[in-house]
Amino acid sequence: MAKQKKLKSARRPGPGQYVLGFLLFLYTAFCAAPIILTIIAAFTSDKELKSTGYTYFPHEWSMEGMNAVLKYGQQLRMSYMVTIGVTVGGTFIGLFVMSMYAYAISRRDFRLRQFLVIYLLIPMLFQGGQLSAYMIFTRSYNMKDNIMLLILPICVTTMNVIILRTYIANSIPEELMEAAKIDGAGEYRTFFQITLPLMKPTLAAVGFMMATGYWNDWQNAFLYIDSPNKKPLQLLLINIQKSIDTLLNNKNIPAAALQEMANGVPQQSATMATVLVVVGPVVIAYPFFQKYFIKGMTVGSVKG
Amino acid sequence: MNRFSDFWKNTWKHRAFVVMALPAFLILLLFAYFPMGGLVLAFKKFDPLMGIFKSPWVGIENFKFLFASAGTFKRMTLNTLMYYGIFTALGTVLNVVLAIAIDQFVFKRVGKVMQTIMIIPVFVSYAAVQFILTAYIGSSTGMIAGRLMHDAIPFYRSPQYWPLILTIVKMWNSVGYGSVLYMSVLAGIDMSLYEAADIDGANKWQQIRYITIPSLVPMITVMLLLSVGNVMRADTGIFYQVTRNTGILYDTTQVIDSYILNALKTSPNFGFTAAATFFQSVVGLIMMLFANFMVKKISPENALF
Repeated sequence: MAKQKKLKSARRPGPGQYVLGFLLFLYTAFCAAPIILTIIAAFTSDKELKSTGYTYFPHEWSMEGMNAVLKYGQQLRMSYMVTIGVTVGGTFIGLFVMSMYAYAISRRDFRLRQFLVIYLLIPMLFQGGQLSAYMIFTRSYNMKDNIMLLILPICVTTMNVIILRTYIANSIPEELMEAAKIDGAGEYRTFFQITLPLMKPTLAAVGFMMATGYWNDWQNAFLYIDSPNKKPLQLLLINIQKSIDTLLNNKNIPAAALQEMANGVPQQSATMATVLVVVGPVVIAYPFFQKYFIKGMTVGSVKG
Repeated sequence: MNRFSDFWKNTWKHRAFVVMALPAFLILLLFAYFPMGGLVLAFKKFDPLMGIFKSPWVGIENFKFLFASAGTFKRMTLNTLMYYGIFTALGTVLNVVLAIAIDQFVFKRVGKVMQTIMIIPVFVSYAAVQFILTAYIGSSTGMIAGRLMHDAIPFYRSPQYWPLILTIVKMWNSVGYGSVLYMSVLAGIDMSLYEAADIDGANKWQQIRYITIPSLVPMITVMLLLSVGNVMRADTGIFYQVTRNTGILYDTTQVIDSYILNALKTSPNFGFTAAATFFQSVVGLIMMLFANFMVKKISPENALF
């Protein structure tokens, strides 16, 4: 890396570099534009959105969209709790069980590992498909409307186990584990006190990718979840029209007042405000994890 | 006999590993292996009262039905293949171009910030993307459709534009993220190759043409071949959510996965859907085996098994 810098800075950047920079800037703007529009629309007055449409330069700013989302936000708070619970729970359960599995199949003197490797690979080659999964989960397991269906079906994936296994095999010196064993540590202790702490970089990378997957997963919720108190954010977003009603469906408010409020709900800006509230946390968290996450992708691409 | 007792002795000695592998083993069993059993529905006439395994067998009746309904099945299969082709071809080209562009850019700090922004779209769920897209191309209030074009084109009623729209959305979503992998390969190129080329008088384009691109070829080949295994699967997010599951647009937007999802949410035509699922799984398996076979020939160290 240092060598690369030296070579390139030896020359002064020519005009080509500025053209390249401009093109890259255009693409960056293309990537950022929709997100900027979302932010602006969430704070544009609903009247303006309804009459003249979406714009980057609204005449009238307003907090009404955001207020509507926050004020009637009992469902929103509930959904936030569900999404956070599923994301944190799923990521930790997944990382825990997958790293144990990865450790087991990385032990060369463990004869059962060949079977376990094949057992791990088959689901990548052959799946039952959506219909089969739906039928088995709802009919055989009777798990319709069960929040575990948001967590378990996607918490162990072949690719992630392979990434963790590769990291253990390539980046953690076997001697460390040997030494621990000689010092009298059992197999559990060796894993939990020596290997697992050393896996931090890859756990961060895989964990972040998993967390994003959980945060953005809408399909399982869409298929299986009915009760409002188990609805994650993405499902709230999908049912947005219904959701605005649900937000208003506060039993403590008399029907007449509710009707009046419903008319006053800034639908368009509230929708964009909801989008912002749902998407925001991941987008804000990502730059902090970027380092790990790029490393994780790189490590995963090299098979051990 | 001896081999068996050796094997059991080894397993017993390492019983700790068995215990460690067990939770993931069970999760896979319940949520990946048992659902495969649901594929028997393709050969049954599903009766909700009798359940999956007691419903009567009908042989290949469902498949006759599937292949006879040429319109729907042909349309969704062709769409699946078409989008796989567009997304993979264009996606790969753009991933590589972007990776090279960022790698060649000398202002590393600016490049890093730009790259961070380019990756962000991958974290915006398609459930959210559909609303953002409507802000652009929704009728009357959409910025492009309404304000700029004065509703000259009703996008949500014009299937012919959707291959383009979905391609733009998909590229917006995935190119920044996809280029990271290729950048990691570029970072690994031996700098002395460039230095030598420089001394020999090769210009930037020649260096890219003869050093950079050839060094990316193995990774491109592997990624392409591995993606072949998923040729029958599509991201339902983009085809179901972004299109808002609009019936008028099905001609150009419905793929096998979004058809099945729609069937599950409305009134499942079980025979047809089960046969389509089975078809998808089997073709997927064949393509995956084929892809792995090819990778093994070309670059054995990247083969999956």
